[in-house]
Amino acid sequence: MPSNATTSSGLQRLIAQLAPLLIVCAVVFSLPVLLNNDFLLNKVARYLVLGILTVSLGLSWGFGGILNLGQAMSFGLGSYAMAMALKLKTVPVHTGASGLPDFMVWNNVQHLPWFWEPFRSLSFAIAAGLIVPALVAAALGWFMFRGRVTGVYVSIITLATMVVINLVIIDQQSYTGGFNGITDLAQLEIFGVAFDAYGRATYYLVAGCVLLSLLVAFAFTKSKAGLIVQAIRDHESRVRYFGYDVALYQIFVFALSAAIAGLAGMLYTVVMEFASPTFLGVQLSLSVVVWCAVGGRQSLVGAFLGAVLVAGMQGALSESAAFLETWTLVMGALFVLVVLFLPKGLAGLAQATWRWVIQRRQAASGAVARGVSQTEGST
Amino acid sequence: MDQFIEQIVTGLSIGSILLLVALGLSIIYGSMGIINLAHGEFVMLGAYAAWVFHTYLGLGLLASLVPIFLVVAAFGWVIERYVLSLLNNRPLDTILATWGVGIMLQQAVRLMVGSELRYVQLPPALSDSMDVLGIPISSYRVFLFGVSIALFGATWLLMNRTTVGMKLRAIIQDRSVAASFGINAKRVYALTFAYGAGLAGLAGALVSPLKSVSPDMGTGYVVDAFMVVVLGGVQSLAGTVASAFILGELSGGIAFLQNDTVAKAIVLLAIVVLIRFRPEGLFTARVRA
Repeated sequence: MPSNATTSSGLQRLIAQLAPLLIVCAVVFSLPVLLNNDFLLNKVARYLVLGILTVSLGLSWGFGGILNLGQAMSFGLGSYAMAMALKLKTVPVHTGASGLPDFMVWNNVQHLPWFWEPFRSLSFAIAAGLIVPALVAAALGWFMFRGRVTGVYVSIITLATMVVINLVIIDQQSYTGGFNGITDLAQLEIFGVAFDAYGRATYYLVAGCVLLSLLVAFAFTKSKAGLIVQAIRDHESRVRYFGYDVALYQIFVFALSAAIAGLAGMLYTVVMEFASPTFLGVQLSLSVVVWCAVGGRQSLVGAFLGAVLVAGMQGALSESAAFLETWTLVMGALFVLVVLFLPKGLAGLAQATWRWVIQRRQAASGAVARGVSQTEGST
Repeated sequence: MDQFIEQIVTGLSIGSILLLVALGLSIIYGSMGIINLAHGEFVMLGAYAAWVFHTYLGLGLLASLVPIFLVVAAFGWVIERYVLSLLNNRPLDTILATWGVGIMLQQAVRLMVGSELRYVQLPPALSDSMDVLGIPISSYRVFLFGVSIALFGATWLLMNRTTVGMKLRAIIQDRSVAASFGINAKRVYALTFAYGAGLAGLAGALVSPLKSVSPDMGTGYVVDAFMVVVLGGVQSLAGTVASAFILGELSGGIAFLQNDTVAKAIVLLAIVVLIRFRPEGLFTARVRA
């Protein structure tokens, strides 16, 4: 029976590891019952989407050791893919059946550009929102990791690449809407369900994607490939000597992370009702790093909660006049303190506290047991 | 022909500003391995210091250069001493910490002096233009070119001809051996970081008459300066000079042919490709391990 015993204890461990994830998702799903305010719910959905984005960074940074300072690139690509499809749906309504999106008309574009054409199909757009970021990341990863670029240089390359794409999007105003982005979108509609940004359906769509992306990320970190990726993070050359194709695993985790970020980007467009070049800007990219570090880069749930908490607090405080100005200062200080004293973030703090509690209890019950045996001995 | 020369001179002028900003960054990165994302904020502090010295003390730009260097260097010293020195052997975390420090500095300035744009006057002695090869060029830009070269020279001397520089190079080679010879690495690091910050402050003060001064003015500079440092090679001061002027000429030249955005994108992409194939930079010889 020993093998049976190990599998059941393995299962127990799996459940214990999944517990925080499932608890968080249960809270996320039950929030609409407590919050009877559509505007608030929309705001929460926004933070949840940012949580998904941060989980995607945690996957490549915390587990893969790849600090991507251009994570918002994948997010932005996903967001634009969704926005292009939703914009084309407004065309027959606003500018006639053979018309063009309004900003193209203002910019004297005569025909719909070829790369807009396939976005008439929503399923194409959704596939593109996942696959394009993954492909771009795979290409960039192939370029970097095959050349054994590591550490700081990865960060600089990813940052620079994102800035280039951002510049191009702003510059090509007639095809991308430039600075203004793509605004005035139609509602997303899947199988007859309309996703109004302020409706419950959209919230549950986001919540479902939170669960999905956390589960996918969790499954990856527990898979063999995920373990190898973590081994590469800790001892790259050793893993290479064992005969593994290090670059291939790095490329894979990089692309997977980009696909999840692309999903988050698509949801963001649905929730915000527009796409903007700031979605793939330096500011957002660095904010994601902050959220991830504060929550705990080596914990998926930690990264998610870090984003929801910090972005949520930021949103709440920046709306109150008293903290409008000081909030950024507070955030900077908080961030420096976390980097200095909590390298594993809030998740690390929670784990340490939990371990301390367990040890205290074990010590206490041990003392009780000793006390019992002593009294037994004396009788 | 005239246009061609004008283009080259514009490139030189962009290059000398790039060099000013990148010099401090290069020392900090090359000797301490710290990616200082607060560097742009040191530039911004220098620019504000110039404005403060002018409006409240009536000091001209040239007269306030030394105090500005000292003030910003003091900021650098405090930050190294109380934040970065706690992050030994965690180079990626220094990116995060310096970024946090950067947004704090930005917001602190915004709180204290407001976010409206400020302007610093050109020094009266340098406000006219002079004739270079038959083309009128503002004297101030010629002055900037001279200052950036002079600062480079001073830095080179400091690194190669002084005791502090020698100690710093010893620490870079092998910190523990240097420490066993009685070199106080902590102090040398703090001084190095302070010097780098002071240089950034000078850069900010010197560009302040050319551009408006605002709390977020540093962000643009830091990315450009990084590109200079990476292109030049991390531990090569001469490489930093060469790459600053190459990038200056490149962005000047491409901007002339195309537009500004395309120029920026092409330069960035070129650097991405360069890092991939020569992470040690264009101008460093490969060292035998």
